Amino acid sequence: MAERPAPSPALTQARDRQRELTDAYYQELARTDSGRKPVAYMLVGGNLAEIVRSFGYELVFPEIVALNCAIKHASLPNILNAEAQGYGLDVCGYVKNDLGLQELGGLTPFGKIPPPDLLVCSFSGCYVYVKWWEALAERYGVPLFMLDVPYLREPTPRKEEIAYVTAQLEELIALLERTTGRSFDRAELVRTLGASRRAEEGWVDYLHAGRQRPSPIEAYFEAVFYMFPINVLRGTPEAAEFYALVNEEVAARVREGQYPVPEEKFRVVVEGVPPYPSYRTFWDFFRRWGAVSVAATYPKVGGLFDQGFLHDPSRPLESIAEYSVGAYVNEAWPLRRELIASYVRDYAADAVVIHGIKSCRSFTAGQGDLRDWLLHERGIPTLYLESDHEDPRYFAPAQIKNRMDAFFESLKPASPAAGGTP
Amino acid sequence: MTLVAGVDIGSTTAKCVLLDDGNVVGKSLAPVGVELVRDAEKALEQALGDAHRDRSEIRFVTGTGYGRFKVTFGQEAVTEIGCHARGAHFLFPGTRLVVDIGGQDTKAIRVGERGEVIDFAMNDKCAAGTGRFLDVCAGALGYDVAEIGALSLEARHPLKVTSTCTVFAESEVTSYVARGKDPKDVLAGLHASIASRSFSLMQRVGVAPEVTFTGGVSRNEGMVRALERKVGLHVNVSPLSQYLGAVGAALFGAERLSRPATGGS
Ligand SMILES: Nc1ncnc2c1ncn2[C@@H]1O[C@H](COP(=O)(O)OP(=O)(O)OP(=O)(O)O)[C@@H](O)[C@H]1O
Ligand code: SF4
Ligand SMILES: [Mg+2]
Repeated sequence: MAERPAPSPALTQARDRQRELTDAYYQELARTDSGRKPVAYMLVGGNLAEIVRSFGYELVFPEIVALNCAIKHASLPNILNAEAQGYGLDVCGYVKNDLGLQELGGLTPFGKIPPPDLLVCSFSGCYVYVKWWEALAERYGVPLFMLDVPYLREPTPRKEEIAYVTAQLEELIALLERTTGRSFDRAELVRTLGASRRAEEGWVDYLHAGRQRPSPIEAYFEAVFYMFPINVLRGTPEAAEFYALVNEEVAARVREGQYPVPEEKFRVVVEGVPPYPSYRTFWDFFRRWGAVSVAATYPKVGGLFDQGFLHDPSRPLESIAEYSVGAYVNEAWPLRRELIASYVRDYAADAVVIHGIKSCRSFTAGQGDLRDWLLHERGIPTLYLESDHEDPRYFAPAQIKNRMDAFFESLKPASPAAGGTP
Repeated sequence: MTLVAGVDIGSTTAKCVLLDDGNVVGKSLAPVGVELVRDAEKALEQALGDAHRDRSEIRFVTGTGYGRFKVTFGQEAVTEIGCHARGAHFLFPGTRLVVDIGGQDTKAIRVGERGEVIDFAMNDKCAAGTGRFLDVCAGALGYDVAEIGALSLEARHPLKVTSTCTVFAESEVTSYVARGKDPKDVLAGLHASIASRSFSLMQRVGVAPEVTFTGGVSRNEGMVRALERKVGLHVNVSPLSQYLGAVGAALFGAERLSRPATGGS
């Protein structure tokens, strides 16, 4: 293959900008550590970023800090520290990364993570979250707010469920007024939600581009980078501008014929949290087979915006409540599996790849049944792989590659194509 | 005359099979060391010696097994999952389910009418319930792995071995012996424990006749019987069973020669 010329700036602007935004965010956090701003910790799924930020809090998402540590190969010392504190081998790696990091003074390769002044457990669907936030509350002696989110068993939440969550959001606002001494600025929240919505619309346009053939986007490995603004910076003008830029880049890719996988051979839907400690290696296993993910569930943990939900500034609290209830991992399995099957159909995918994390119950429990259901009820070739999202000790490259190679070999009709096996 | 070679570099052994117009004309089997590239070379040379053929006659070499990328003289690499399916289908065309128990992995493979892979399941990354497990337990009892199968069939009061973890099973075995239990009864328990672990993998992909047992552990007749008892079906085995990955690899090469792939990159 001939040496490819350096890509034009139009083809790197999104990733460059995402790096800038991420760096700026962590730099701001490091500055915040000197007490300039109060800090709230929050979870990603169905988060309450707009409300808490409107009271002047800077937000830390320990799950995102953890995955950034893992991808930068800096998670193991934190995990080992947590294990020395007594957390067992089967405890979620995100939890152990965070509790180890706290003990080690919050130092990461991307800056110091400040301790919390407030803990907002914005998603209680995972029992581990509850215990994690309680451990932090005990350590720091700061207020803990626990949002009880009813599990979603039907496609749309009931009125009473939304009212239940809305009432809790009002309690949160009362708490924020007490902790900051500020009063709630409804107009500010409405403005912020307007910016959130613009970002969400841009993000959805990006995700839908996976329907094209060949796909101009990588809806798992690349989208994981691009989900940072939608999860962390939602409600800021920068987030909305970011997705406009991303979509310009997608248009440029199509124009210049530059696709994430140069020769698209397989279109896959990916389910599950990535193996962050071996992110590049895992991605490479797909690329070698000419496999591109055209849709994925994980980049939507922060919200299923592509399913029609967008924040509605005219009904601020109700709309935030709907958002929280509709978080992907808050959905019952019959809804999750139908969603995945619909991705296979709408994005013309050949197969589903599931990456399971033993220590992550909320995402993983049920994935074995999901595989069987997709395979036997829907006739969709499905591969189940397992390692960890945070702990590098659980990724066995030879075994994972072997399973993937066997899977993609079997997806091919008759015999493998020349040079097929990488 | 079309001479093709399949070289299967597994976690434990290196196998090579030479096929000439669909007939096995030479084979080799040796333990693997740390120099896999050399092991692959040696496997091929030995099979050529066995067949009294010259290397220059070989038209296509396919590598398989964990060390498939170490078959540096090969033209293609295919996973052992595809190869065991192909090899089992070659010997027993009615095969719908393959169980390959090698040194480090247990695999259950559902195959279609043409020997193609429909679905597969494998043990986790640990060595529980594989050939290594039997090797270690045989050692703990002071036997060679080649004798334990027959001995297990002589058991009169089979014991229960609860652990499938290689490390824990070894101590369970030792403690049974220390309590004066008959090693044959312990062996029967070990075989039954592997059979039931393999059976759950088989159930994951769906049990259907015919079932063909491949990999080195299929040489163990105690294991064959234990598996048949657990599955409730006849299980195909052959003296070539340990070589079926290499046979499948060679068949891929033969097919490639007769029907060159188009549009490959
Ligand atoms: N004569 C024998 N009798 C019984 N068992 C045997 C005999 N020879 C080998 N085995 C078993 O076969 C195992 C090796 O099987 P095989 O050659 O299929 O392994 P492999 O292909 O290298 O491993 P894997 O496929 O797991 O990477 C040994 O661990 C041993 O338990
Ligand atoms: S100690 Fe036992 S369970 Fe652990 S990896 Fe080894 S065989 Fe598997
Ligand atoms: Mg093998």
